[in-house]
Amino acid sequence: MVTATAGRQPGHAVLRAMSAVGTAAAGSVVMVDVANAGEVVAVDSWARGSGLSVLAVHNDAMEIFLGRLDDVSSIPSDRMPGTRVWFYTNFHCNLACDYCCAMSSPRSDPLMLPAPLVARLVDEAMSLGAREFFLTGGEPFLHPELDRIVESCAAAAPTLLLTNGMLLRGSRLQLLLRLPRENLILQVSLDSPTAQRHDRHRGEGSWAKAVAGIKTARDAGFAVRLAATLGSEASGDDVALAEMCADLGLDPQDTVVRRVAQQGAATDGIVLSRATLVPEICVSGRGVHWHPVAPLDEAMLVTTDISSLAPAVDAVRQEYLGYRRRGDVLAATFPCA
Amino acid sequence: MTPVLVGAVAYTANVVPIWEGIRDYFRGSAVEMDFVLFSNYERQVESLLAGTVDIAWNTNLAYVRTVRRTAGQCRALAMRDTDLTFRTVFVGRAGSGLSGLESIRGRRVALGSRDSGQARILPSKFLADAGISAPETTFLHFDSDVGKHGDTGRSELDALAAVLDDEADVAALGITTWESLLKGGDTGFEEIWTSAPYCHCNFTAMPRLEADRAAAWVAHLLAMDWENPDHRRILELEGLRAWVEPQLDGYRSLFDAVDEQGISSTW
Repeated sequence: MVTATAGRQPGHAVLRAMSAVGTAAAGSVVMVDVANAGEVVAVDSWARGSGLSVLAVHNDAMEIFLGRLDDVSSIPSDRMPGTRVWFYTNFHCNLACDYCCAMSSPRSDPLMLPAPLVARLVDEAMSLGAREFFLTGGEPFLHPELDRIVESCAAAAPTLLLTNGMLLRGSRLQLLLRLPRENLILQVSLDSPTAQRHDRHRGEGSWAKAVAGIKTARDAGFAVRLAATLGSEASGDDVALAEMCADLGLDPQDTVVRRVAQQGAATDGIVLSRATLVPEICVSGRGVHWHPVAPLDEAMLVTTDISSLAPAVDAVRQEYLGYRRRGDVLAATFPCA
Repeated sequence: MTPVLVGAVAYTANVVPIWEGIRDYFRGSAVEMDFVLFSNYERQVESLLAGTVDIAWNTNLAYVRTVRRTAGQCRALAMRDTDLTFRTVFVGRAGSGLSGLESIRGRRVALGSRDSGQARILPSKFLADAGISAPETTFLHFDSDVGKHGDTGRSELDALAAVLDDEADVAALGITTWESLLKGGDTGFEEIWTSAPYCHCNFTAMPRLEADRAAAWVAHLLAMDWENPDHRRILELEGLRAWVEPQLDGYRSLFDAVDEQGISSTW
């Protein structure tokens, strides 16, 4: 914090403010001493005209933020809420993993997003600056309109479809084969290089089916990558996972390793909050969420209105801007994809 | 390939995000770059001459001195669009009735640091060219932040304070300080005279920087786009909308002033 000392008349206060601001970093706060109401008015007028923000007026000093409080353009583009947009196509799943952040299972309320709604939201998201779409669940291949949903997304921007890869047989194989190869990557969950730990969290036989699903998708011409959700017991698996990628003909570099978050069914893992998590707009049948890792967390729910994205995106941008001002170092990304 | 090393003077905390942003922008380009920050322009120019850095982000005075020290062998590579139209403004108290250069004759004139092109060297030349000189006219000199060539604006603010305190009638400012002051609306000052445009900063390189590396570096620099939010953040902090090719005619008045005032090519 920079302090400039009070002088003799209103014009001096503006010169003090200019001096303090001139050598301070954008985004920092400077204190400018003021001796009377005339100086407050003069500094306030200059600060506002200069695109700066007066945070507070104390008895003998003014607190000036070097930036605009409502200027979302100060958010780096790779962290701008709305550039990565997620859809929970549905919440039900053929599995009931013990760490699932959505507590998905075969008994879950499906809460399926209708394909026409997703198509409309994709159009709106693009107008708000979306660059990538992500489809998750639940298990998206349980959604009968998944092909229409994927088509809407992939026609607009690169799209990632998260799946457990276990259902790619019969009618769901036909569903897979109808999906576009262009602009689409399938991200298959595989938690460990061998069946033991994957099956412990996800259910007996699930590892073998996932590996078979990866081969099916690859043989059908889809780009595939792996996502491993690792708990504390999984240290040292990264190398083995990379080797398995190579065995499956996948790029070992193209693997996402996710830590377990304390959300949904998970009783331990990383604790997340809006203030400490870089937002990624996420739409589900429940509403618009701060981040896809927390679709059940009421504190992460932005709005229950999913008819339009713009108000939620704007609200998240403003709130995130506030967290950034207070300390960017606190906010971290949580990669789901 | 070895990155091009660019020198810049750290006159504000913002130089760190500015140059980190520019360095990041060059990552993956044909010629990547890194940067070195100096505490003053003397160190920077000496380091350029010694080959410690390949390119220096120079003020107009640092450029003039580099030209003189290299017998004209150094090259200006690029500059900001705003460097093409830099001006000096003489201002006085609102209601002073002063207007035009001739009205300054016989008054008390507050000038900035001795190494500030905009607040000392060029205003002195403009007045001398009009035949306005001591002892008829009184000059007050504010040598604040010497070594930074007026970049901090500190000496110009000191000159303005002298006018407010009735220690001077007129203050000499760079156009950026005047425009910043105007953002407050009623400034308590008014413009007396504004100079013709002249050039301010540029990227200066020594002949040893290979032409193809220099050309690739400049081409990528000039491709920074105001419409790109990531680029705009850097451009706004550095005070420009676009990088442009240099226009050397704009340094003529400063070369003349340095000669006329006997300003040394060394420090």
